[in-house]
Amino acid sequence: MNIKEYISSGVVESYVLGLLTAQERFEFEKYCEAYPELKEARTSFELAIEKQAIENSIAPPADLKQKIASKIFAENKTAPVIPIETARPRRFNWARLVAAASIILLAGAIWWNMNLKNQNDKLRGDYAALQENLKVSRDSMAQIIAEANNIQKEGMKTVGLNGTANSPRSFATVYWDTTSHDVYLLVNNLPKPASDEQYQLWALLKTNNQLQTIDLGMLQLSQKPLQVYKMTNARSAQGFAITLEKKDGNPDPNLQKIYVMSDL
Amino acid sequence: MLNGQSNDAFNYLYDNYSGAIYTIINQIVSDKDTASDVMQDVFVNIWRKINTYDAGKGRLFTWMLNIARNAAIDKVRSKGYRDNRKNQPMMGNETSGIAMSTNPMVTDVGLKKVLTTLNEEYRKLIDLSYFQGFTHEEIAKMMGIPLGTVKTRIRTAIIQLRKMVG
Repeated sequence: MNIKEYISSGVVESYVLGLLTAQERFEFEKYCEAYPELKEARTSFELAIEKQAIENSIAPPADLKQKIASKIFAENKTAPVIPIETARPRRFNWARLVAAASIILLAGAIWWNMNLKNQNDKLRGDYAALQENLKVSRDSMAQIIAEANNIQKEGMKTVGLNGTANSPRSFATVYWDTTSHDVYLLVNNLPKPASDEQYQLWALLKTNNQLQTIDLGMLQLSQKPLQVYKMTNARSAQGFAITLEKKDGNPDPNLQKIYVMSDL
Repeated sequence: MLNGQSNDAFNYLYDNYSGAIYTIINQIVSDKDTASDVMQDVFVNIWRKINTYDAGKGRLFTWMLNIARNAAIDKVRSKGYRDNRKNQPMMGNETSGIAMSTNPMVTDVGLKKVLTTLNEEYRKLIDLSYFQGFTHEEIAKMMGIPLGTVKTRIRTAIIQLRKMVG
């Protein structure tokens, strides 16, 4: 900053006469501390004004001094001096503005904070939900992969069960592990049974032209689509069939109600 | 030295500065009774606030002068004062002519005297800002000139004033 220019800009006089804005005043006071010549210029103008004002003054009414003295000293006797602020500063109250601004800033910060907190809480909730979703997906995935591995392992026989006249569009798949004899069933499409009925899986064996049926278990009532369910083991089988039976099944299949059946 | 708040200190302040303080009050408040009331308030306030005076920010007289100026402008702007002067033009509506805020008896002393040497426009600007206490923004609005112009002209007026004060 060019201090000479600053001094001759009228800022010194404006400061002394109280014509600066709070901001300008604050700046001026800061510069005064840094530049002795600025302070000198200020004092010089103050002295000039003071001299002017005193030399050209008119005397106040004679009784005024006594009135003021009695106010001041009566006050002093009755009450200790309270540090001021009865006079309303007409000029802009910088401290009050700063205080107000601080409060507004504080309120703003609190509001902002609460906003952030709410946002944070929400994100945390969303995150937890996503985690849960992810876990479920992962579990399903793991299950599907396990099933797929299981189904594709060596010795696994895949048998398609086609719809019969009862339900031409139905289809199911049996995976039969010829080593361990485990049987898995995948229902691709079966009509929903009545509430007192249940599907039952059978292994079919033909010996000497005689058809033998072996109970491989009931299909769950609420079979999820395209999910592989483990059924009862079958030591030997030449084919598979699903019949619609009464709830909890029958020891022998109702051959009128075969829904899907594989080739033998 | 004045913090003792003794009788002596009061005498010193009053005897040295009461005239100058009374004069500035009279140059802002136009009737003598009101000016005396303001004068009392000002001295009581100076007395109470003396602990807040910061010598680093200026001379004691400057501090007192500004308290007096502010108190007088406050008074002029107060409702009671304006109501008492209903038959006179209201402040702010009258931006032409300079002496309206002034008791004719004290027009030509102190700063006001110096003012008479300024040209009409500068006089008006100093009167509005210094004696009537309008902000630069308010003056710009009243006179219908840009804020920057007001600032520049007031600075120029003040620099001229400076030369005359000596």
